[in-house]
Amino acid sequence: MNNFKLLAGILVFGSLWGFSECIIGSGINELGLPSGAIMTGFFTIAFLVISRRIYQKPGMQLGMGLVAGGLRLFNPFVGCQLCSALAIMAEGAIFEALWYKISVNFSELKTPIMQVSMGILSGYFVYIGGYIVTQILTPIISGPGFFIENLIAVMPNILSSGLLPAIIGAFVIPVVLFINKLDIRLKDRFYYPTTIGVSAFCWFFVFGYWLLLT
Amino acid sequence: MILGKEKIIPIFAMIVIFVGIFSTIYVQSTNIDRDTIKINGQEYTIDQLFSMCEMRIIEIDKGEITGIALDDLISKVGVGCPQCVKYTIKAKDKYQQTVDWDIMKTGILTDYSRVYFPDTAHSFWVRDVIEIEVK
Repeated sequence: MNNFKLLAGILVFGSLWGFSECIIGSGINELGLPSGAIMTGFFTIAFLVISRRIYQKPGMQLGMGLVAGGLRLFNPFVGCQLCSALAIMAEGAIFEALWYKISVNFSELKTPIMQVSMGILSGYFVYIGGYIVTQILTPIISGPGFFIENLIAVMPNILSSGLLPAIIGAFVIPVVLFINKLDIRLKDRFYYPTTIGVSAFCWFFVFGYWLLLT
Repeated sequence: MILGKEKIIPIFAMIVIFVGIFSTIYVQSTNIDRDTIKINGQEYTIDQLFSMCEMRIIEIDKGEITGIALDDLISKVGVGCPQCVKYTIKAKDKYQQTVDWDIMKTGILTDYSRVYFPDTAHSFWVRDVIEIEVK
């Protein structure tokens, strides 16, 4: 696989991830549900695992996090762009660390127990990792500075909040891997028009709305 | 090597689930439920605070929010040099955030015990406030 193809993959999967965070995540938030935990459990884990399975390139998910976090900065529907964007960028990096020892062909994930277990670990650590990073970086970037006692005080909440994405992740990874067995492929001549078109749609939609509302 | 992972990963997953369950039980059991807010060492009810402080409307991304002005509140509770100290706002679930005067003076406290600041990340909008510690 050439580098341009990989870059296009990072762009399209990162854009889809960021788009879903902005549109679906905002909708879930409006309903008063824990949007961060639900989004991480379903969409983040699904996009990260699907892209890992298709491209088999460690490092790609870090790039996806940067693209998705970048798009989340312009979310026109819900505020707190900064903390969510930081969390998303961190989630890509944490996923990379967690899956570092897993083979690119997922040879370890043949059994349902392994799939469910990786779903639990991915959902939990990706979510609480993003939460911790945003609790540290947001006060630093926003001005008042980081206070360790605030993080220590909130640690039980953070450890608790990872339970929902862990449970969702336990279902998502087996489903994603089952769907991947169907071997849906995009023909080469459609690859660049599709990936660039989908990415452009995500960015124009979110950025356009952001411009309209600001 | 793969055999090792097949044992270790499910064990870690089980540990993670137990940590999540126990921390959820801990958070629920240690929630502090009280009708007053402790500010600078003194207890106040929301009604008391609303009767002694001026109202302010601020604009946030969700629209306009009304509450009592935190700068007025801080002066009314007897903080002599408000810009010399920091303010740790604590919630009943133990969530807390520390802000300085530049942020504090822009904020409000609503009648449902949530603080809002117009120009900060949402993580500073502590809900179910039970204490504002001045330090």
